[in-house]
Amino acid sequence: MSFNKKDEDDAGIVKVDRTSVFQEARVFNTSPISPRKCRILLTKIALLLFTGESFPTNEATSLFFGISKLFQNKDASLRQMVYLIIKELSKEAEDVIMVTSSIMKDTAAVGTGELYRANAIRALCRIIDASTVGAIERNIKTAIVDKNPSVSSAALVSSYHLLPIARDIVRRWQSETQEAASSNKSGGSLMSGFMGQHAHMAATSTNYMTQYHAIGLLYQMRSHDRMALVKMVQQYSAAGVVKSPAARVMLVRLAAKLAEDEPSGLRKPMMKLLDDWLRDKSEMVNFEAAKAICSMPDLTDAEVGQAIHVLQLFLTSPRAVTKFAAIRILHQFASFKPDAVRQCNPDIEALISNTNRSIATFAITTLLKTGNEASVDRLMKQISTFMSDITDEFKVTVVEAIRTLCLKFPSKQAGMLQFLSGVLRDEGGYEFKRSVVESIFDLIKFVPESKEDALAHLCEFIEDCEFTKLAVRILHLLGLEGPRTAQPTKYIRYIYNRVVLENAIVRAAAVTALAKFGVGQKDPDVKSSVEVLLRRCLDDMDDEVRDRAALNLRLMKDKDDEEVGKFVRNDSMFSLPILEDQLAHYVNGSSAEAFAKPFDFSNVPVVTREQSLAEDRTKKLTTATPTLKAPTISGPKKAEAGAAAADAARDSAAASQKYAQALAAIPEFKDFGPLLKSSGVVELTESETEYVVSAVKHLFRGHIVLQFDVKNTIADYVLTDVGVVSTPSAGEDGEEASGLDDGFFIPIPALKAEEPGTVYVYFQRPAGETFTAASFTNVLKFTIKEIDPTTNEPEESGYEDEYQVEDLELTGADYILPAFAGNFSSIWESLDGADEAEETLQLSAARSIQEAVELLVKQLAMQPLEGTEVSLSTSTHALKLFGRSVAGGKVAGNVRMAYSAKSGVTVKVEVRSEEEGLAALVVGAVA
Amino acid sequence: MAPGMFKRIYNFLMSLFWSKELDVTMIGLQNAGKTSLLRVLAGGEFTIDSIPTVGFNMKRVQQGHVTLKCWDIGGQPRFRTMWERYCRGVNAIVFIVDSADREAIPVAKEELHDLLSKPSMEGIALLVLGNKSDIPDHLDVDQLIEQLNLKLIDHREVSCFGISAKEETNLDAVMKWLIARANK
Ligand SMILES: Nc1nc2c(ncn2[C@@H]2O[C@H](COP(=O)(O)OP(=O)(O)OP(=O)(O)O)[C@@H](O)[C@H]2O)c(=O)[nH]1
Ligand SMILES: [Mg+2]
Repeated sequence: MSFNKKDEDDAGIVKVDRTSVFQEARVFNTSPISPRKCRILLTKIALLLFTGESFPTNEATSLFFGISKLFQNKDASLRQMVYLIIKELSKEAEDVIMVTSSIMKDTAAVGTGELYRANAIRALCRIIDASTVGAIERNIKTAIVDKNPSVSSAALVSSYHLLPIARDIVRRWQSETQEAASSNKSGGSLMSGFMGQHAHMAATSTNYMTQYHAIGLLYQMRSHDRMALVKMVQQYSAAGVVKSPAARVMLVRLAAKLAEDEPSGLRKPMMKLLDDWLRDKSEMVNFEAAKAICSMPDLTDAEVGQAIHVLQLFLTSPRAVTKFAAIRILHQFASFKPDAVRQCNPDIEALISNTNRSIATFAITTLLKTGNEASVDRLMKQISTFMSDITDEFKVTVVEAIRTLCLKFPSKQAGMLQFLSGVLRDEGGYEFKRSVVESIFDLIKFVPESKEDALAHLCEFIEDCEFTKLAVRILHLLGLEGPRTAQPTKYIRYIYNRVVLENAIVRAAAVTALAKFGVGQKDPDVKSSVEVLLRRCLDDMDDEVRDRAALNLRLMKDKDDEEVGKFVRNDSMFSLPILEDQLAHYVNGSSAEAFAKPFDFSNVPVVTREQSLAEDRTKKLTTATPTLKAPTISGPKKAEAGAAAADAARDSAAASQKYAQALAAIPEFKDFGPLLKSSGVVELTESETEYVVSAVKHLFRGHIVLQFDVKNTIADYVLTDVGVVSTPSAGEDGEEASGLDDGFFIPIPALKAEEPGTVYVYFQRPAGETFTAASFTNVLKFTIKEIDPTTNEPEESGYEDEYQVEDLELTGADYILPAFAGNFSSIWESLDGADEAEETLQLSAARSIQEAVELLVKQLAMQPLEGTEVSLSTSTHALKLFGRSVAGGKVAGNVRMAYSAKSGVTVKVEVRSEEEGLAALVVGAVA
Repeated sequence: MAPGMFKRIYNFLMSLFWSKELDVTMIGLQNAGKTSLLRVLAGGEFTIDSIPTVGFNMKRVQQGHVTLKCWDIGGQPRFRTMWERYCRGVNAIVFIVDSADREAIPVAKEELHDLLSKPSMEGIALLVLGNKSDIPDHLDVDQLIEQLNLKLIDHREVSCFGISAKEETNLDAVMKWLIARANK
C-alpha cells in the first residue's frame, strides 16, 4: 500500500496531461469525498492551467460542475483550492453563474470558513453577473472593513473588478473603502506564503497592503471627479496617514497625473507634494517621485533640482538595485536635459567600471549624453572593453546613444564609425545589428564626411550577413549613394557578389541596386559592364530577379536618360508619416465597404528628399536613446517625454493633413488650391477664461485663412452667431496698412458650453506681393442666450456681446518650411547677393544659450544644420538654419549668439532668401 | 502515516455498516420556497426576506445515521436548463410548488414533465411538495395531483404532500419519506 501511495505522488509531479486529468475527474463525484485525492487532482489542473494548457469549453464546463460538487465538503484547504481553480476555469467554462449562491454564502463564512473567505470573495467577482451585484452588497461592505487584512484586501480588489459592471452599486461603498484606506491593518499573514524564504521577511511582515488596495479602489471610484481626486491625494499624502509604501507610490503616480492633466491649477501644489515624497523614508517612493518629476513636461531646472539631487545620492548606495534604479532614471532624463544631469557626472564616472554591467552601461551612455566632446573618445574606449559582456538589449542602448552622439558631434564621426564597424563584426542578434546598421545609415545621411568609409564598412558587412532584411536595406543604400561617389565601380563588385551568392530576396535587391549604377550613367565603360552583369541575371531561377533585370536593361537603353534617371533615383517621395497615417486609417476602416474603393494616393503630399530628411533628423535627435522599457506612470498617456517629441514631427505632418481635409470641406475655400502651410496652434486667451480661443494660420497661394477655435466655458449659456472680427495692420506698430483687405468670416451658428467650435476668417493675399507680415486684432462677436433650466432650450432672446482676445502675428516664418542639407556654408555662399536682412537684439525670453537656440528654431521655422541645435559652450554659439519658402525658394539663417550674466542672451540674426522681400520678414519674426 | 491510515479504514467500515449518505435535489419554480424549506429542515430559522438563489445552494441535513446532501437549485427560468444536470443519479428529486400561486401551476407542470421525460431521470423517486399551506386559499393535495397531472408519471415512486415551511407543518413526513430512501 505504501508503494501505491508513492506511485500516486510521483504521478502528480511527473506526468500530468489533460486527457488523463479529465478522466480522473470522477473523484469529484465519489461519495464520500476524499479531500486529499481531490486536492491532488485540483493541483494537477492548476499545474496544467498555469503551464499554458487550456481545456476546451465542454471539458472545462464539465470539470467546473464536477468541482462545484465539492462545496459540500468542509475541508478548508480543499475549499481554498476549489476557489483557485474555479477562478481559472470560469474563463472557459459555461454556466459558471451556477455557483454564485454557494460562493455568496462563503463570503460571509465564519469559524474555519474564515480561511477560505478571502478566496471566495476573489472568486465571486469572476462569476457574478451585474444583476446580482446588489445581492452581495452587504457581504462585501462588511468584508471591506473586516479586521482580517486578507479578507479586506480581497473585498477591495473584487470591488475594483466589479466597478465597471456595476458602477452605481460599487460607488456606494466609498465610506467603507475610506475606512479601509486609513486603517492600519498589517498584511503579514497574507504575504507570508510568497515571501517565506525572503531575507526581508521581518520588514515585509507589516506591509499594510490593504491600504494600497483601498486607495486604488478609491481612485477608480472617483476617477471622473478631479476635485475629489485632488482632495484624496492631499488627504492621504499627509505624513503618517498611509503606512503602505506601495500605496504611497500610487499616490505619487496620481499626483503626477493630476499635475499633467491640469497644469494651470494643479501643477504647483502637486509638484510640492512630489518634492516631499523625495524625502519619504521608503526608497521606492523616492524613486517613483523622482521618476514622476523627471517625466513632467516643460520642466524648469529649479523644479527638477531636488529630484536629481536625491538620485545622485542613490548613485553611491551600497546596494546594486538602488544604484541601477537611479542611473536608469538619470540616463533617461539626460536625453532631454543633459545640463541638469551633468552635476552628477563625478558620481556617474565612478560607476563606469562597476562590475554590474547593466549599471556600467547606463553610466557610460548617460555620460555620453551629458559629457562634452572631449570625453567621448575615453568613454568609447571604456565601453568597448565590455561590449561583449552585455546582453543585446544593452548593446542596443549603447549603440543608440552613440548614434545620437554622431548627430550631435559630427566632428567625432571617425571614431564613432570605427566603434560601430567594430561592433558590427561582433556576435549579436537582429535587433542589435539593425541598430548598428541604422546608426551607420544616419552617419551617411547626416554627416557627409563619413560617407565613403561608412559605405566601405557596410560593403564588408554584407559579404557575411545572416539577416536578409539588413542585406536588402544596405543594398538599397549602396544603390542610392554609390553612383554619386568618386569611384562607383568599387561598389559594383560587392553588389554583384550578392547576385551570385545569396537567396532570391537579396538577389532581387542587388539587381535593383546594380541598375542604379547603369541608368543615366555617363561613363560608357561603367554602363556597359553594368549591362553585362544585368544580362547574366536574366537567367536567374527566380522570376522577380529576372523581371527586375529585364526592366532595368530596358530603362538603360532608353534615350531619355534624364527622365529615366529621375524615375530610378526617386528624388521626390510621399511624405511617409502622412502615408503611414492614412494607410493605417484605411486598413482600420470600419467596414468591408471601406475597401471597395482603392486607397487614394492623391491625398498624400509629395515631399522632396530634403524635407523628408529634415523631419527624420529632428525626430532622431529628439527621440534620443530609448531606455529599456521602464514602467510608465499609469496608463497609455505619454509618460515619456521622449516618445512624445519623436511623435511631434509625425503629428505636425498629420495635423496639417487633418487641417487640409477640414478646409477642403468648406465651400468658400473650394477654389483656394492646395494648402501650403499651417502654423502651430497659438493660444489667444488664458485657459481659464470664460471663452477660450486659439488660432491656426493657414496659407494658400492667394489667400490666408485664420482658424479660430472657440470654446464657451460658461455652463447654462449658449452663444449664437459667433464670429471673429479680425483686423489686420502691418507690423507691430499697427498703424500702416498691411495690404490685406478686410476679412470675411464664417460664423458658428450656435456654441454650447464645453463644445468647441471653429470660426474661419479669410483674406485675399495682395496681388503681386509674395510675402506680407501683419498683426491681427481679434474681437469675438456673438449673441449670448441663457438656457432655460426647465426645457433645456435656449431662451428666445439674448443680448449681443463682444470679447477681445490677444493679437495674432503673421510673420515671415509662417511662409517657411524646414529643409535639410548636409552642408551649410555652400548654401550660404550661394545666396550671397540675394535678398538679405539682419538684426541684433537681446532675447529677453531666453535665460541661456540653449534656451535661445530652441526658441529661435521655433520662431524662425527652419531646420538647424550641422548639429548646431546643440550648443557646446554656454557663452557663445552659432546656429545655422535652412528652409524653403512655400513658393520653393531657399532661405538660410545664420545666427550668432553670446551670453553674459549682465545682459542675458544677445543674438545677431542674418537671413538670406532666394526670393525678394522674405528675409526682412523672417528677421522680423524674432522677438 | 499509520494513525491516519487507521482512521480511514475505520471510517470506511463505519460507512459500510452504519452511516448512509443520500443525494437529494430540490427544484421548482422561483419563489416556491425551496431555500426556505431547506433552511428549516437543516434546523435554521424561517426568514421572510430570503433572496432568490443564483445557481445552487448546498446543505447537509443529518438525521440519525443518515446524511442528506441537499442541492437546492434556483428556480428562475435561466437556471431551469440546469436542473437535469443536478438531478442525474440522485436518490430523490423534491419538486416544490407554491400551492397558493394558482397561476404558476401550469408552468410548474410543464417544467416537471419536461424534466422527467429525460432518459437520465428514469426511475428516480419523486416527492412533490405543495408549500405555503399556511396561506388561506391554497390548493390541497388532491387538487395538486390533479393539476400537476401526477397520475401520468410512472416507472418511479411518487408522493405528494402539502406543507408549510413557515409554520413547519408536515415537515416530519417529508423527513420520514426522505430517510426511507436509505433503505431502498
Ligand atoms: N407564507 C409562506 N411563505 C413562504 C413559505 N416558504 C417560503 N416562503 C416565502 O416565499 C418567498 C420565496 O422563498 P425562497 O425560499 O427564497 O424561494 P425559492 O424557491 O428558493 O426561490 P428561488 O431561489 O428563486 O428558486 C420568500 O419570501 C419566503 O419567505 C411558506 O411556507 N409560507
Ligand atoms: Mg432559493
